[in-house]
Amino acid sequence: MSTREEILKQLRQNARETYDMPQLDHLKPISYADPIAEFIQKTTTTAGAKVVELKEGEQLNDVIQSIANALPSCGGGGAPIIASNLPGVEAQINPDTVAEAQELMKVDVGVIEGHIGVAENACIWIPQTMKEKAICFASEQLIIVLRRDAIVSNMHEAYERIAASKKYFQQYKFGTFISGPSKTADIESALVYGAQAARGVTVLLRSSIDNLR
Amino acid sequence: MVTRHDQTFFGVRQKRDRMSQALPEWEDLREAASLIKKHTVSHLADYLEQFEQNAVRNGVHVHWAKDAEEYNRIVKEILTSHGVKKVVKSKSMLTEECHLNEHLEQEGIEVVETDLGERILQMMKLAPSHIVMPALHVHREEIGDTFRKLIPDFDEIAKGYTAVSGSTTDKNDPTFLTFVARMHLRRQFAEADAGMTGANFGIAETGDVVVCTNEGNADMSTSIPKLHIVSMGIEKLIPNYKAMGVFQRLLARCGTGQETTVYTSHFRGPRPGGEMHIVLVDNGRSAILGNNEHWQTLKCMRCGACMNTCPVYRRSAGYSYTYFIPGPIGVNLGMLRDPHQYYDNVSACTLCCSCENVCPVKVDLSTQIYRWRQQLESLGHANTSKKMMSQAMSYLFNHPAVYTGVLRLSPMANWIPAPLMNLKLNPWAYGHQMMKFPPKSFHQLWKEKKL
Repeated sequence: MSTREEILKQLRQNARETYDMPQLDHLKPISYADPIAEFIQKTTTTAGAKVVELKEGEQLNDVIQSIANALPSCGGGGAPIIASNLPGVEAQINPDTVAEAQELMKVDVGVIEGHIGVAENACIWIPQTMKEKAICFASEQLIIVLRRDAIVSNMHEAYERIAASKKYFQQYKFGTFISGPSKTADIESALVYGAQAARGVTVLLRSSIDNLR
Repeated sequence: MVTRHDQTFFGVRQKRDRMSQALPEWEDLREAASLIKKHTVSHLADYLEQFEQNAVRNGVHVHWAKDAEEYNRIVKEILTSHGVKKVVKSKSMLTEECHLNEHLEQEGIEVVETDLGERILQMMKLAPSHIVMPALHVHREEIGDTFRKLIPDFDEIAKGYTAVSGSTTDKNDPTFLTFVARMHLRRQFAEADAGMTGANFGIAETGDVVVCTNEGNADMSTSIPKLHIVSMGIEKLIPNYKAMGVFQRLLARCGTGQETTVYTSHFRGPRPGGEMHIVLVDNGRSAILGNNEHWQTLKCMRCGACMNTCPVYRRSAGYSYTYFIPGPIGVNLGMLRDPHQYYDNVSACTLCCSCENVCPVKVDLSTQIYRWRQQLESLGHANTSKKMMSQAMSYLFNHPAVYTGVLRLSPMANWIPAPLMNLKLNPWAYGHQMMKFPPKSFHQLWKEKKL
């Protein structure tokens, strides 16, 4: 008998009592009257990120370039190296066309798009809509563009939306929730931002009506 | 040291309390998590088949390992067949359980731990003292000295820090040392031929592997090298995305007192031009399912909340346990691994039951420890002197005449010279002064109506 069959057989033999899957519909998860305000609050406090709201008439690319130029530790005085595959965003590196993921390790600012924002914990859902997902992690600084109407109250709502997305399961092999910059407290429990991945995150909220395309 | 350790982990416990109090549905979430795990674990064979089928459909290679030996062999074969010289690895208690690192190093493969705490321990050749915050017992001075000694380009990195953040007067400042580790580890990611991760959850319905970190090291490990190997204990499965919502909300709140980990990553297939392997490891888990009294340990999702709240763990720290996982869950898992080797840990419990009250999946941790203690006699590990004392007390309390007689004679013990009384033979005298027996007992005083 193969190991696989051996394990499955023993599991079937040893499961004496069986239990039904519980109904989860009775769970009344926390829900906010103003999820956007809660999302901004959580993003700028516990998650340790910044929020910039795109105003009417502003062009997405202009705002991104000005945020990127003002970010700390970018480019050593020169222009920052920006990576993005978002249409209309000026970038020197495109994660879809780089030969090797290593190239994304020199990126100062990665610009990516979030698909869902979660108010309870500042998580932003980012499916792998690019060839090399290293842009989401290796960039020194991250700008995540998010539509205001993509913000939900809690993780249950977020997972419900993802589970319902056929496109996600057909096209993408990876998706991640990101809540603020990479952090650690492994040295004497002192909180430090910028462990191995992005040292800073700016969430750029744009309105439901497209400023961009 | 003990005070700092105690305060650090009680602080985490208090953060967890604030998280739980902020959610009105907290107890419903715990109950749901417990029921989902009970359901999944009792249907594990079906869910494993479903998981495997979906993972294979997503282009993932799935392997099965019945024990540590088979697991180590499978991983070694994947790595050697791809010519891997260096592997970057995010934290996984399973690889710790199977001693994978030693095994790979014997084969000449360099293994680099990428979780900062784990990397510190690896450089210092120490074992983790906690499953989530493994190196909190190490002081910053020791970490600084280790980095200066073992990171070859330390000085160069330090210069870069001055350029970015200005100079620091404290050479062991955590921000500075974290920066050094960042630059050191980012070089490892770029150089590695393969990335290894554990799995916090496996989702049967979709074949996803979910990995949660704060540092992003699991993501760096799998975004740059093209080969990704996941090591997953078979009990990590949950049915679907709906269930995932419940566990995602509990894990970080219970483990570190955060609303979420920074990264919650769903891996469903290989990178473009890459390969993804999942090794499903049993190593005793299917046998635990058949253990009527202890099968619920399989519900555990390794958040560490039980150790943060445990008064014994907080005051004695991880190395005082003989099993590699400390605290209440470690006591139980150690007994399930080998009771003859790890029975001494069952004493490391005051039966305060705090662990049961914080466990997000409601594992009956202290009840199980109590049960193990009842079994020590049949396992042949009951303490002989305690056993004799219990037998003597049982005789004494069941024979009132003898009891009264002994009680009347007890003040005579006061006349025994102290050096004879404070011998090693008398366990009471270890660390104590022998007490003085009063001339008359409580019983006697009561009868004489002097009370």
